[in-house]
Amino acid sequence: MKCALVTGGSRGIGSAICQKLAEESNYHILINYQSNKEAAEKTLQEVVNKGATGEIIQFNVSNAEEVTTALSNWQEKNPEAIVEVIVNNAGITKDGLFMWMTQDDWSNVVNTSLNGFFNVTNFFIQKMLRNKYGRIVNMASVSGVKGTAGQTNYSAAKGAIVAATKALAQEVAKRNITVNAVAPGFIRTDMTGSLDENELIKLVPVNRFGEAEEVADLVSFLVSKKAGYITGEVININGGIYS
Amino acid sequence: MNKADIIETINGFLVEEFEVDRDTISPEANLKDTLGLDSLDYVDLVVTIEANFGVKLGEADFVGIATFQNFYDLIENKIKVKENA
Repeated sequence: MKCALVTGGSRGIGSAICQKLAEESNYHILINYQSNKEAAEKTLQEVVNKGATGEIIQFNVSNAEEVTTALSNWQEKNPEAIVEVIVNNAGITKDGLFMWMTQDDWSNVVNTSLNGFFNVTNFFIQKMLRNKYGRIVNMASVSGVKGTAGQTNYSAAKGAIVAATKALAQEVAKRNITVNAVAPGFIRTDMTGSLDENELIKLVPVNRFGEAEEVADLVSFLVSKKAGYITGEVININGGIYS
Repeated sequence: MNKADIIETINGFLVEEFEVDRDTISPEANLKDTLGLDSLDYVDLVVTIEANFGVKLGEADFVGIATFQNFYDLIENKIKVKENA
């Protein structure tokens, strides 16, 4: 059984990626969620409705012990399963001016977006190397490539993801493992739900927010066999807001 | 499992895994050169050892490992530590 794991797969871009992979790949979809089981089950239902198989798997990506325990238990129950695709999508925001930012707001964002990448990817990387094939896609952000005021923590975490993507890509390329990052701009999801869309689209040359499905299309391509010569890249998907 | 069994098991999977002639493997031969290991190839050693003996190897374990004999000794010690745990 060949699998694709999507962290933070229950909602927003993560859910759209799970559904797109259900449509366009033959992978068994592992939908990771942290707390919203109902949303994860809804995503799973969509995956099944599209003719694919999948399952939900609960862990907090920022908690190394929890990640190792959950994934080890899953691997024990599925000894023949091979995770060929990892989409490190889980992320949180705790926005605010840096001068008011608390240590917790800094650490929580970095722990989820950056350490989550380490915890999950490191668990699988030896198996992927052994398997001599893999696709890793890390969800970065326009904030991680240009920096966004009010998001110093998120920008730092996503910027680090960009650098980690480029470094790891060089380490593992020889074994047919590609590592790329996707950097979305304003995408219409729960995460951007509180933003003033009418005001912000003035900043976007395409004159609209993006859709989660559009990001999912890009991820689906990057994890496909067609994208084997693309690695270490950061692909912006932001309606022209930054390049 | 005695040491001779350990060596036989290791040599058996090294021949298969790294496609080397069994005659090239000797206790004094250089492990890295004989098997043609690059940095990523160590993952194959690590995973195969874990699968065969149930012991985990880390990067630090390979410090000072030059010959096959060094490697056999390392695995034997790891197995002993595991059995005594």
